[in-house]
Amino acid sequence: MPEPLIDRALLEKLERLTIHWQKSLPGLVGGHNTSRFAGAGQEFLDHRHFHQGDDLRAVNWRAFLRLEKLFLKMFQLEPRIPVRILLDISKSMETGKDSNKFDYARKLAAAMCYVGLVRLDSICLQPFSNNLGDAFLASGGRHRFQQAATFLSNLQIGGATNFFGAARDFISKYPQRGLVIVISDFLDDADCEKPLQYLSDFGHELILTQIWADEDREPPWDGELDLEDSETGLHVELAFDSSARAQYTAAFDEYAQHLRHVALRNRGRYVGIPTSVPVEDALFGPLVRSGAIE
Amino acid sequence: MNFLNLSLGELLGMAGAISAGVVALYLLDRSKRRQVVATLRFWTAADSRTEMKHRKRIQQPWSLLLQLLSLLFLLIALAGPRLGSDDSGRDHVLILDTSAWMQARAGRTTLIDEARSAALAYVKALPSRDRVMLVRADALATPVTAFEADRQILNDAIRQSQPGASALNLAQALEFAQRVQKLQAQHPGEIVFAGAARVPEDEASLATVPSNLRVLAVNGALENVGLRKIGLRRSTSVADSWDIFVSLRNYGLKPRDVGLELQLGGAPVGSKTFSLKPGEEQQATFTYRTHAAGYLEARLNARDAFPQDDRAVVEIPSEKPLRVVVYSNEPALLKPLISSNQVNAVFEPPAKYDPQVKADIVILDRFAPPQRPKASSIWIEPPAAGSPIPVKGTRTGVKLDAWRTDTPLGAGLRTKDVLLASAEIFTIAPGDIAVAESTEGPLIVARPGSPKIAVLGFHPVKSSMKYELATPLLIANTLRWMAPDVFRSREVQAGTVGTVTVPVERGTDPAAVRVITEDNRPLPFTIEDNVLRFFSGAPGTVRVLTGDRELVYSQTLPDVAESLWRPPSTVRKGIPRPTGNGVSSTDIWPWFAVLGALGLLLDWLLFGRSRAYRLIRSAWRKAA
Repeated sequence: MPEPLIDRALLEKLERLTIHWQKSLPGLVGGHNTSRFAGAGQEFLDHRHFHQGDDLRAVNWRAFLRLEKLFLKMFQLEPRIPVRILLDISKSMETGKDSNKFDYARKLAAAMCYVGLVRLDSICLQPFSNNLGDAFLASGGRHRFQQAATFLSNLQIGGATNFFGAARDFISKYPQRGLVIVISDFLDDADCEKPLQYLSDFGHELILTQIWADEDREPPWDGELDLEDSETGLHVELAFDSSARAQYTAAFDEYAQHLRHVALRNRGRYVGIPTSVPVEDALFGPLVRSGAIE
Repeated sequence: MNFLNLSLGELLGMAGAISAGVVALYLLDRSKRRQVVATLRFWTAADSRTEMKHRKRIQQPWSLLLQLLSLLFLLIALAGPRLGSDDSGRDHVLILDTSAWMQARAGRTTLIDEARSAALAYVKALPSRDRVMLVRADALATPVTAFEADRQILNDAIRQSQPGASALNLAQALEFAQRVQKLQAQHPGEIVFAGAARVPEDEASLATVPSNLRVLAVNGALENVGLRKIGLRRSTSVADSWDIFVSLRNYGLKPRDVGLELQLGGAPVGSKTFSLKPGEEQQATFTYRTHAAGYLEARLNARDAFPQDDRAVVEIPSEKPLRVVVYSNEPALLKPLISSNQVNAVFEPPAKYDPQVKADIVILDRFAPPQRPKASSIWIEPPAAGSPIPVKGTRTGVKLDAWRTDTPLGAGLRTKDVLLASAEIFTIAPGDIAVAESTEGPLIVARPGSPKIAVLGFHPVKSSMKYELATPLLIANTLRWMAPDVFRSREVQAGTVGTVTVPVERGTDPAAVRVITEDNRPLPFTIEDNVLRFFSGAPGTVRVLTGDRELVYSQTLPDVAESLWRPPSTVRKGIPRPTGNGVSSTDIWPWFAVLGALGLLLDWLLFGRSRAYRLIRSAWRKAA
């Protein structure tokens, strides 16, 4: 029997978390996130003058008896927003000596999925590499988690990262705006800023979750290296030493910072997680601090 | 500077081997490594100066140099170098001469006293950290102590050392000391010989000695004339006589005239005066007639430094004649056959037969008693009714065809065309020995056991065998077979302790030879090229029994070697100057160990690639 992605103890801890988004997005009533839009919610929002055609059930009759004016009570809308998790399954996710990034990303996606299911959100698990793969829609409560976990476990790694193609397909496939959680190493040879900006401009709220192995950020090797790109198969031969390592790490940090700017600029959030950090610590640490889940 | 644990060659060899390994590992570590990475975008941007066009075989030569230097320092530390002269903590072997010659007197003291004093002085002069093994050396090298630093134990062992009875085997003692130093010593020191060094002639020119030998010489060139050997043997020409051989030697440097006196039980046996040149050995032979047993004492009238070899005593064994009782009606026929100086024969008529008669052998001439004798018996033509060997029948005109010469009774017997007028033919049982045979059957039969029985089917004198030479030999063989102890030839020698060589007859079976001590304990021996050798390190009597021959070695004379060994001029002599507690050198290996460790630490800090180091460095960088 294969080992479960997330053990029961962690699932119990995840029960108290909720996925949060910052934008006010239209969605089906019945969610748990508050919205700027007034609607058929439970929480009182404000009063306004009654206009013809308004629902008489929302008239504040107590105020009418006292002031002899019709005021209408407005309630805060709590929409059910679609949450889509874009999971990178490209070959670059396979690298990592001590812990595999792909496994780590799957665990993270499963945890987020469970958090959403507990709050009756609809979670769409959407793998991608060159383009979008087959998706899995999970909704209707925590009892649907097992199918989602099985879907994640059966995912196969392959292909090269192509954010541009994936973003284009995503927009065409999912016209309804929602929360997009991207779990990837973002190590695309092409610039991924434009595709992300494209998604944001379309109205999606982005949570960029960058996962890296320690050797991705600070390669431990020294001397002469024959490097092979895991996705393209290209080779580069070079001599690597401590000073080159410092420059490499600086370039990596600069790229991560760039991703953060992209996310923040579009009112999204960015979380960088090394695979050396346990999944539980990542969930209750960086992800909670970023406000993606609370 | 001394490398106590490693020689310079071993140190350089190990340093070379380890350096080669380090360089090989270093080059392997720096060799091009194939690695699959997630992306190449950061690599190409990392540093263009480190690309392959600037590739060098050794990327960090200072790191390699630092590692090699550190390893060299650690190796030197392992070698345990010392600064200054190193004369402490060494292991010496002290050989104390305990040969027989060390009993010789030199003025008021003996040579062993002088050797002991020299050995004690040497031990006292050594640094307190030095250890000494005491070896007592005579014919054998015997370690008395292990490598011992306790001076009290060493001094007691030296004082308790006493001279032995054997000569010094110097070459063996030196070889033993070398082997002990090689196998057991931590820091080999000197091999010290204390003694007079009187050795056999073949060792007098011993020149190949250990390079670390020191000699504490004791003046052993003293005047001495001594007995070398005394031998007694039955005279082959005169009955009841002993041939006595005496050998003596002048060990001194001056010619000497000495008188030799022989006494047996206080009675003078002989005397002679010898004029001996230095190193000369002379022999004298005496003949003495006696039946009596006793102690033969040889005494030299020589007042010299070594009186122990001026007197020797040899025991003359008693000669018991063979008691034979002959029951015959015609004793005159058998008297010529039986008479011998080793046989005491008594002739009685058959009417006086006594089965309990005190005799070694009973001869029954044509007479069968109702009760067989208790002693061994020879039956001549016994009546068929009373014969101990069943008589098949009596035949006339019997031709004696063959003698069984492979048996003790028929050994050496030969006859030709002997025709017996009348003879009894016997029926033999399993185990019986047919000594003489005819076509009809056995004529003479012997039955081993206790008592032994021999039966003759014809009368040796009244038949045609009367004129045959085989007849007396047959009787002699029969008597010797029945009582071998009486006819065993004896030879007595007094000699020195040590290795004894005895010539034996060709083809002697080692299984039939016995070498036993006074208390009947067997001594190990070898037989090679018809020479029997055995070793006895202590004075005593050793008997060698080979068939009908008995040799008694009375090893009562001390073994004094012939020559004095002169050590080569290159050998150190005398007692060294005392060096106090021996702390005249300083250990400097800790400094090398610290240097090596610091070098490796520095290499790790400057060029280390460990994960921990990178994390620390990145933390520092962030903090900065």
